Amino acid sequence: MHTPVKDPTGKTTEYRDENDTCPVCKSDRFLNKNLRLLVSPCYHRMCEGCIDRIFTLGPAPCPIPGCGTILRKMQFIHQTFEDLTVEKEVGVRRRIAKEFNKRRQDFQDLRSYNDYLEMVEDITFNLINNIKVRETEELIEKNRRENAALIELNIQRDERDVSSLQEEEARERRDREQRAAELRMMEEEEKFEKEREKQAIIDGLATSNTDADRLVAKTRAEAAKRSQARRRPDISNLLSSSTTTSYNNTRNTFAKDEPHVPFTDDWDDCHDRFSLRLPGDQSPYYDPTTIEVRKDVEGKYRAGGYMLEEVWERALRSAVMALDITPLPEDE
Amino acid sequence: MELNDQTMRSWIKEAKVGEGTYAVVYRGRHAVTGRPVAIKKIKIGQFKDGLDMSAIREVKYLRELQHPNVIELVDVFSAKTNLNLVLEFLDSDLEVVIKDRSHVFLPADIKSWMAMTLRGLEFCHRNWILHRDLKPNNLLIASDGQLKIADFGLARDFADPNPGFKMTWQVITRWYRPPELLFGCRHYSTAVDMWSVGTIFAELMLRVPYMAGDSDLDQIKTIFRALGTPTEEEWPGHTKLPNYVNIGQFPKSPLNLLFTAASSEALDLLAKCFIYEPRRRITAKEGLHHPYFFALPHPTHPSKLPKVAPTTKAKPLQVDDYEDDMQTEIKTTYREKRDKV
Repeated sequence: MHTPVKDPTGKTTEYRDENDTCPVCKSDRFLNKNLRLLVSPCYHRMCEGCIDRIFTLGPAPCPIPGCGTILRKMQFIHQTFEDLTVEKEVGVRRRIAKEFNKRRQDFQDLRSYNDYLEMVEDITFNLINNIKVRETEELIEKNRRENAALIELNIQRDERDVSSLQEEEARERRDREQRAAELRMMEEEEKFEKEREKQAIIDGLATSNTDADRLVAKTRAEAAKRSQARRRPDISNLLSSSTTTSYNNTRNTFAKDEPHVPFTDDWDDCHDRFSLRLPGDQSPYYDPTTIEVRKDVEGKYRAGGYMLEEVWERALRSAVMALDITPLPEDE
Repeated sequence: MELNDQTMRSWIKEAKVGEGTYAVVYRGRHAVTGRPVAIKKIKIGQFKDGLDMSAIREVKYLRELQHPNVIELVDVFSAKTNLNLVLEFLDSDLEVVIKDRSHVFLPADIKSWMAMTLRGLEFCHRNWILHRDLKPNNLLIASDGQLKIADFGLARDFADPNPGFKMTWQVITRWYRPPELLFGCRHYSTAVDMWSVGTIFAELMLRVPYMAGDSDLDQIKTIFRALGTPTEEEWPGHTKLPNYVNIGQFPKSPLNLLFTAASSEALDLLAKCFIYEPRRRITAKEGLHHPYFFALPHPTHPSKLPKVAPTTKAKPLQVDDYEDDMQTEIKTTYREKRDKV
């Protein structure tokens, strides 16, 4: 019915005990080597044999005295924890987390979010301890109806978070491997270089007539120069590769949302340099070319949104905008 | 001339990515730094009466504007008889993102896009430039998620010192066009762009164009059906506009009937973009200070916004693409030789 559940490392995470006894047929591990106890939605244990026997023909009441919950064969799950109350709590919490998955950003303020968490905790507590079960179920149903779209959205969000986290991990692993490979290569080259140096000294001693000490010193110095020349770019390579990856990391997925800033450029709006007179003022500017606009007999300037103050502001701004800037020196 | 040759040689065309009526767009890169760019080759040969107007506008205004939310014009050079604009390379646009149904937009995502749009637009308006063609298709998205206003082919400076100058009303793609332009107004201002911003805001929430009319007249009708027919009080003088037609009375319906998921601040900003009287419509600067942007959730960081992998398949350059270049080359050499003789 249920294959043993395994976690990602391949370990079976099903709980079993040598002293297990099926509470229904009383058979135990001594009589039945393959005894496997499964847990019902009402958190009662029974063996696979009993489940087959009782529920093969369809839904039936739970055989445990005093329970009688209607159960189906498919609803039985494997047991993970020794203590069934823990099993129940985990199950309830998993279910509630799926139904009530609002996040902090779905709320106007911290207060309402905290209230929400409190409510979720209450519901969970009630379900675990069988308090006011029917009312609580109604509450859950109501929440599902009202927030269907948001719940769906948050499920997608969670998936997105998980996948981006996985990507991030994969990238880091790749980077680490690459760096290790580069390091290994460097070491190998160094070893090779040492061999070559030794060989060069032996060859030199064998063929030339110069003083042995001097020859050794000279070859060593040359080798050192060579290895330094080789290593420099390698290190800079390593550095640059690590900076580019860190750049990629920052621009991907984990940048933090920040509060809105109206302007991101350094805009100095020279407000203090002039005060604008408006067309409706007591004494607007003397501007004979715009008499027609100010009268606006047909109202077409107003209807179109043409604004005389913009014309004046543009003229004034153009006049004062560059007042602070020092002129270029003459020889340039 | 020498300088031009130098510039021309520093940009390499790699693949053709699109073709419009007056320009071909190539993907390219800088010969030395390898910086990716888009090269817009403007076909001059076809225009008997000189350079195309939109090309002039694009160069004129983009040369002046430098802002994180406005596309950067990197360089300009001419090759043979063609004019080439070297623009920042941006691989997707907001329209593509809106149409991709695999993404769910969070309220914070929309807020982030809106803030970037308004910042870019405020910068244009601050420099006395009307964009006059805002639509999702012209809001390009950089690989780091930054939104950039592009296509200044219809841009124009405003607040002319002489109010006798008339501006054309045949600008802005119809669905994003404000009612004053639909009524043929010749004197207008920044409010026309803000109407477009409102329609883009609505489109981001609905994922379909908000007011899609199939003719100019139908567009007016659609607007009035959506927002109610304006009264003389709401929009003084609109009946005097050149192309005014009486469409009939439509009742007002509150925006929250259609935008059910929007917060009250979002609806307030939207309503202020759709104020009929242009002088009372919210400006880009006021928009950036609107409570909508300061309410929770914070706008999504640009790098985390939904993204679409570039769908336009870049085509490697074909022999045909070189052909017209070759022909002009042959012609010029021929002419030079003839002149010598």
